[in-house]
Amino acid sequence: MNSTKVIDAKGLACPMPIVRTKKAMDELAPGEILEVHATDKGSKNDLTAWAGSTGHELLKSEEEAGVFKFWIKKGE
Amino acid sequence: MITMMTAKDVGTMVKHKEELFILDVRNQTDYQDWRIEGEQVESINIPYFDLIDGVDGVLDQIPAHKKLLVVCAKEGSSKFVAEQLAEAGLEQVAYLQGGMKSWSEYLEQVLVFADERMKVYQFLRLGKGCLSYMVVSGGEALVIDPSRFTDVYLDAAKHEGAKISHIVDSHLHADHISGGKQLAQMTGADYYMMKSEGAVFSFKPLEEHDRIRFAQVDLRVLAVKTPGHTPGSVSFFVNDKLLFSGDTLFVGGLGRPDLGGKAAEWAQDLYDTVYGKMAAMADDVIVLPGHYAELDREVNESGYVGAQLGVIRAANELMNQQDKKSFVDQVVAQAKTETPPNFEEIIAINRGVEEATAERQQELEIGPNRCALHHTHE
Repeated sequence: MNSTKVIDAKGLACPMPIVRTKKAMDELAPGEILEVHATDKGSKNDLTAWAGSTGHELLKSEEEAGVFKFWIKKGE
Repeated sequence: MITMMTAKDVGTMVKHKEELFILDVRNQTDYQDWRIEGEQVESINIPYFDLIDGVDGVLDQIPAHKKLLVVCAKEGSSKFVAEQLAEAGLEQVAYLQGGMKSWSEYLEQVLVFADERMKVYQFLRLGKGCLSYMVVSGGEALVIDPSRFTDVYLDAAKHEGAKISHIVDSHLHADHISGGKQLAQMTGADYYMMKSEGAVFSFKPLEEHDRIRFAQVDLRVLAVKTPGHTPGSVSFFVNDKLLFSGDTLFVGGLGRPDLGGKAAEWAQDLYDTVYGKMAAMADDVIVLPGHYAELDREVNESGYVGAQLGVIRAANELMNQQDKKSFVDQVVAQAKTETPPNFEEIIAINRGVEEATAERQQELEIGPNRCALHHTHE
């Protein structure tokens, strides 16, 4: 997947992964894709809920060796 | 200035019915599933990610005169939001240390009963609705349905100058991880449960011990064959005064029959128990259950969850002059589909078939208890 930007939030505890994600997302144009890497276990639920409430689309998520990866498409 | 509150602080406020306003900043589904409740606790839910750009929008939703507590899953986000609220000019802003995780794990100890023969304590797990007990007599202690926080029981016994010599589980728990095995290993105490529950480690089967006696305590095991809830749920009748009813009988009514998928079969056994063994017990026997659903309704004036058998009987239609068929029909009709979170894995751990790290155990237990879920208020 072609990510416009990648955010490394590994090792950061809640709320920082979302704070960073939101900040980065504000700088993207609608339709562009942000890739987020995080190790906080709550990040999956929270990113899903956040994307849903803001109109962004969580395209895909996966977990590999304790690292959660998310691809989020910026909404209109 | 923000301050920190511990789960113990919150527990004290809930039990003393003090006013508290909670801003829960977890996401909506987590809040709807499970939250801090109390008679004087008011809460609203605004996810922290809606507050990243500022809290101005929520200030008018927060009452000025109440103590404010910000709560999240672990701690970080509540602190983050609390700091912003304080900067916006709110006074008396607190966050919950350790978040809902620590709320899930906090036990409140209350004296339930004391006479010349024994002292009985209840341990309320306020965040989950689970109850465990310690019966102390003559320098010995018996623990009923211990949670995995074994230090709490060790400390309580030490405080009483007693040694834990007996541990009993009323059934194989589906909603929380039992501390029985670990506590037995730490203390050398005898650990009893029903063999029919299928645990694979070594313990004393209650099938072969229908009476446990130590010091001035005489405990009788009332085996209620309850296929369905779990295959071998039991109650403990101590000194003809106290009925530790496990998941068979709650202050608000009867246990739920559907967890094993054999509601009708379980309901028939439950009928035999209620109209047989329990019918023969005096009205002033104190029932001490394994769970509660609503603290405000089920906690009594002495501050523990329990009630006289006569009072429970009088308030519960199902326990009064029902014929077996209509009893079974009604119990089955009340069967629910919601199960305790992660109950299959928790059962596997309690049987000794699976093992889990401390961190995994913590994760598995997060969330509400659904064994005694609001069963009387259909």
